[in-house]
Amino acid sequence: MNFNPRSERKEATKFLYGLCIFLAIMLGFPSLANLWFSFNEVTFHNLTGEGFAGIENYKKALENPKLWKALNYSLKFAVIATILQLTFALFMVFTLHPLLLRKPWLTAILMLPIMVSPALMGVMYRLILNEFTGIIPGYLNMIGFHVTLMSRSMIQYTVIAIEVLQWTPFAFLILLTARQSLPYELEEAAAVDGAMGIKFNFRVVLPLITPAIIIVTFIRFIDSFRVFDHIFVLTGGGPGSRTTSISIYIYKLFFQRSELGESVALSFILLVISLTLLYFGLKLIVKKE
Amino acid sequence: MKFIIKFITIYFVSSFVLMSSASAITVLAWPGGPAEGALKKVVDNYNKTTNNDVELLYFSRDNFFDKMLADVAAGSKEFDVMLTATYSLGKYAPFMTPINDLINDEVLSTFSQGAIDTQTYNGTVYGMPTDLSLHFLYYREDLINELLSNSSWQETYAKISKEYLGTAMKPKPADDWNWDDFVASALFFTKSINPESPVPYGTVLQMKNLLFNIMIWQGTAASYGGDWRDSDGNITIDTEAYRRGLKIYRDLFDAEATPADSLSYEYAEANAAFGSGKVAFYTQWSAAYADFIKPGEYPAIEGKFTITNQPAGDMGPKTHFHSLGLGINANSDKQDEARQFLSYLGTNEAMSMFLTEGGQPPVTAPIMNALAGDRLDMLMMADHTAKYGKVMNGGTEGGAFSVYSNMAENFTAYWAGDMELDTAIANVTEFLEAEFAK
Repeated sequence: MNFNPRSERKEATKFLYGLCIFLAIMLGFPSLANLWFSFNEVTFHNLTGEGFAGIENYKKALENPKLWKALNYSLKFAVIATILQLTFALFMVFTLHPLLLRKPWLTAILMLPIMVSPALMGVMYRLILNEFTGIIPGYLNMIGFHVTLMSRSMIQYTVIAIEVLQWTPFAFLILLTARQSLPYELEEAAAVDGAMGIKFNFRVVLPLITPAIIIVTFIRFIDSFRVFDHIFVLTGGGPGSRTTSISIYIYKLFFQRSELGESVALSFILLVISLTLLYFGLKLIVKKE
Repeated sequence: MKFIIKFITIYFVSSFVLMSSASAITVLAWPGGPAEGALKKVVDNYNKTTNNDVELLYFSRDNFFDKMLADVAAGSKEFDVMLTATYSLGKYAPFMTPINDLINDEVLSTFSQGAIDTQTYNGTVYGMPTDLSLHFLYYREDLINELLSNSSWQETYAKISKEYLGTAMKPKPADDWNWDDFVASALFFTKSINPESPVPYGTVLQMKNLLFNIMIWQGTAASYGGDWRDSDGNITIDTEAYRRGLKIYRDLFDAEATPADSLSYEYAEANAAFGSGKVAFYTQWSAAYADFIKPGEYPAIEGKFTITNQPAGDMGPKTHFHSLGLGINANSDKQDEARQFLSYLGTNEAMSMFLTEGGQPPVTAPIMNALAGDRLDMLMMADHTAKYGKVMNGGTEGGAFSVYSNMAENFTAYWAGDMELDTAIANVTEFLEAEFAK
């Protein structure tokens, strides 16, 4: 059978039509509608717009000092959470890989946190961390640690810890898949050359799974950057605006201040930034490969 | 084959008969609490006694009003009757149908004019009031009685009040408290300040960045004469009343008289704290009383607590109050059916049933006295609303929701130590000026 890359690609493209139509309906239309909203004066009372606003909504969004505070928080949150998720995920891959080869069903148990919706996770932690009814403060008290995890000094660390606990399994799953795709012969060859254990993981595995690490970093960074659910449930973005992420800020602009145009314009700016980041991330991977 | 044709015919004919006999309307109601169960009973009774089919629809409580706003703004017809609240009437009024003509003599014998006013915006009635909400001081009778009779406790009380408030104070019955008594008692019942306190915390404050928490707090400012605006429309946040009210929370938080995680507390967390028996007293929504008196639900405080008015400021005790109600979605195609249902809600029969099933309707004194039984909260509600109730000037306007949210953001920042008092007040003042200028 003759292999023709061009016709193969043509055939493969056909399979993408369905996905493209789905995306066009589910994402394309709302995106276009939002783009239109962002250039118009829209209110809840008049969603069809009260007039063309030009770039006024974008200007207003970028001139608001609260935006920069929220962006700063989201950036810090995303950087810390992503580093921690990647570190823990890598550690888990290095240590659990041999065990999971023998007992693959254990992977399903490790994936449980990502199966819970983030909002529900927030509600769960509202109960778990409560000083009067929570299990965690109860146990900490029993062993002599009188720490209030939702106090003003701890609240920022607690919301990051929850993000890390929930999403490390996701990073772990992708890195584990990359690790498991490495041929066993490589391990044997490395062992013959004296690279075993930590040396093997750092000198051989790590460079080979770098493309997966890059993609996980980008996905987790973008996802953590737009964190909303569990923080909103636990703190409402407060106290003050101490835990107000960019998504919470946009939400409040939209629903609480009824600044529809400004919030939609801001969403659009963030969408463009996210897509740009993802584009460069993918480029980097292609280059690496 | 004959059987299949027969079956299909019967199916379609019966469906048609059912559809034509019952004109189904959907009511979007407030979920959870005793009111949910009570409304179900009332709706069941309405469906049974009339040839109608009313269905209840519930969103979750979290951001209920945001979801409802998005729906009505988009022209949704998914519900015909929708929730109304005093503090957001101005925001939803453009999406609702006025019901002034439904307010007849029978309705006015069910609800007082004051209750109807809580569902009125710019002279137009938009909702039938179903639930009244205000705040009480919930306190442990056993602890306060001991404080009033134990001389050793009173000595400590005087010492603590001298140290923190500058005056050696004498304990008073909770009914007569002013905010200084509240603060002094909270400090006295805090174990880290008074190791002999039988409970770890004097009080529990709800300080999460949430607009409903500001409604609870604003009783402090209102009791010192605080208001959003004066009669000329000038913003009056930068006053001693607001400063004193805000400082009460900040001082109690700094003194650790409220749990350290109070900055993430709202209704449920505060109830859990008081219900655990580890808190001496707190101010809370009236709805909590019905939960606390359920036998076996809160054994630590069962039979040990009672309620009274909030502490007084220079202007006496004050409490925020509002009513939730049901009004008509202007997008609905079933305006007549919705009006018929609201008319029923305005009858003595419907509200009597709602009250006995656990709701807190703002009914007139004759109905209340006949049916409230030993429900202390119900017996006190109408009286407290009349005597101490306060709706801020501008509190029902379109921007009221945004104002509460802005206050929540700035005032919680001050309580947490992230913002100076002057800055918080200046920010809120600036926001109110812009909001009311719209």
